[in-house]
Amino acid sequence: MPVTKVPNEERLFSLVLALLSSEAGLTKSEILSTVQGYRQRFVHSGDNSNLERQFERDKDDVRELGVPLETIESPEQAGNNHNLRYRIPRADYELPEDISFSAEESTLLGLAAMVWREGSLSEESRRAMVKLRSLGIATAEPVLSYAPQLRVREQSFEPLRSALDKGVLVTFEYLKPGEQTATLRTVAPLALVQHQGRWHLYAKDPATDLFKTFLLRRIVSAVRATKKPFDETTADAAARALAELEAVWQANLAVVKVEPGTDAATRLSKRRGAMPSPSTELELHFTDLNIFADELASFGPEVLVLAPPVLREAVIERLTRTAADHG
Amino acid sequence: MAKKIQPLRAQDKLVYLLALVPYLMDHDRVSVSEAAAHFGVPQQQIRDAVRLIAVSGVPGETATYQDSDLFDIAWDDFEENDQIVLTHMVAIDDSPRFSAREASALIAGLQYLSGLPEHADRVAIATLMSKLSRGASAQPTAVGVEASDLDETLALIRETVAAGTQIEFDYLNSRGESERRRIDPLRIESVDADWYVRGWCHSREDVRTFRLDRISCPTMTSESITHTVADVSLPETLFDASPEDIRVTIEVVESAIPLLGDYVALTPNCSPQGTVSALRCSCHTSMGSSGSLLGFPALSR
Repeated sequence: MPVTKVPNEERLFSLVLALLSSEAGLTKSEILSTVQGYRQRFVHSGDNSNLERQFERDKDDVRELGVPLETIESPEQAGNNHNLRYRIPRADYELPEDISFSAEESTLLGLAAMVWREGSLSEESRRAMVKLRSLGIATAEPVLSYAPQLRVREQSFEPLRSALDKGVLVTFEYLKPGEQTATLRTVAPLALVQHQGRWHLYAKDPATDLFKTFLLRRIVSAVRATKKPFDETTADAAARALAELEAVWQANLAVVKVEPGTDAATRLSKRRGAMPSPSTELELHFTDLNIFADELASFGPEVLVLAPPVLREAVIERLTRTAADHG
Repeated sequence: MAKKIQPLRAQDKLVYLLALVPYLMDHDRVSVSEAAAHFGVPQQQIRDAVRLIAVSGVPGETATYQDSDLFDIAWDDFEENDQIVLTHMVAIDDSPRFSAREASALIAGLQYLSGLPEHADRVAIATLMSKLSRGASAQPTAVGVEASDLDETLALIRETVAAGTQIEFDYLNSRGESERRRIDPLRIESVDADWYVRGWCHSREDVRTFRLDRISCPTMTSESITHTVADVSLPETLFDASPEDIRVTIEVVESAIPLLGDYVALTPNCSPQGTVSALRCSCHTSMGSSGSLLGFPALSR
């Protein structure tokens, strides 16, 4: 008898419906033999290993959407995989009763979803908006319907975010600003934050227990997630990381002299927090000395660093080396 | 821009199904067009979803999907009038929670928006973030974004994009020449700390990309834009290789090659010599060739 192909979404939908409606949960063999999309391919007293693998993938797909698909072990037979039961507890599946969104809030969320130009943040925002629409809220027209958009271009972003979700250690090669060779790092990822347009990883070094901040741009290898979980519950890691970066940025102050009418004069005066001190001088904040020295050196003769001395030396060192390299 | 309609993946279709059911439960009767407009999807997508919902259900006591175990709709109303009326419901009572990642994507977007002048109400934004957090099935992933800091130029361009009017400004190119330009601004986006406005340039009669920090004296005009995003092809990438690119050959420490990003030509000519590699890079003149190479002086040898 030919088996009619049940579309994937129908199988997934049927799986969610079946597990939502069964309080005690269903065993794997009950699912495979009775649920729409599986039952058509189920072989009684035969080999169902393909179907079992399909079920494993489906579980991951469903969980990825935020559906809390649980596994319960039978208390008498702990460790026996055949008696595992699967279910979706209603209270963890449904949006709590007391959470509702006004039309204005829904509009604001729509704008928040549009902040992301592409990539997983954009896809996930769109999905969240579909769920929000489910509540039937009419959306108000925003005052200004246009917000500038952000891109996440670093390839390390996705693997780091997924390691964050799983709470496992990651390893990667990091080229520290100001250094010439990359070094291998193993850290516990705690948060991903964007500050001054740059994405940073906030992490803890398990060897020293010190918090560290890495620039995603400077991760020069693929990020490898290990299987090692870590026990670190830093509350508000993202807020803490942003506050630390902001404090560093505030504390680091440089005074530079720019040649009027040049690229350096135009662009540096537009930096956030740039303060003109007497006429051709500018006060500028920065986060990382080496990166800022790279930036300033790139303007060549158009900019002269007055303070702090360490920044001045860093720029001189770069220009001298560049000249020597080309000599 | 003619948006490509990408075929939905099974996972995305599942989200629509799980979202559509509670929406239909709350509406005794709703037309396909109304539901499609509400979800912002093509009408056919709603029809397909309703058809699937109407034949779906739970295995039930007999484990054989009896009629009483399935959703049902008023078929005549659906087939003849394009109206959706759910007549029997199973399993689902309410809207699904957000996933941890979905909540974190929206929370990070909100953090960014909180810097825009019209969303200055910190309390309202904080309330909304906590709702998202509580409405997620797990603790949202720790992703944070600094609140946007609109400088005057960014704020003005944003207003003109929203209003659909032309804008004029002095633009200093990478060769140090300043020129008054008039553009139809179409999109503002960032790459790292740098902001760009992309639009139709009336002086060049072509699509151009401008760095915001090279713009001075911007003025909003009252004239409407003549080209919209739909009229021009705005490439997804900010910089594309073009025949005008200057090809530059440089030597860099091998570990620094990933830092060069878009500057590296698609087929860089890398010839490893110890720790030093040579690569050719096509330089985008709009970004300033001098700056780009000196941008990594600590790494070039």
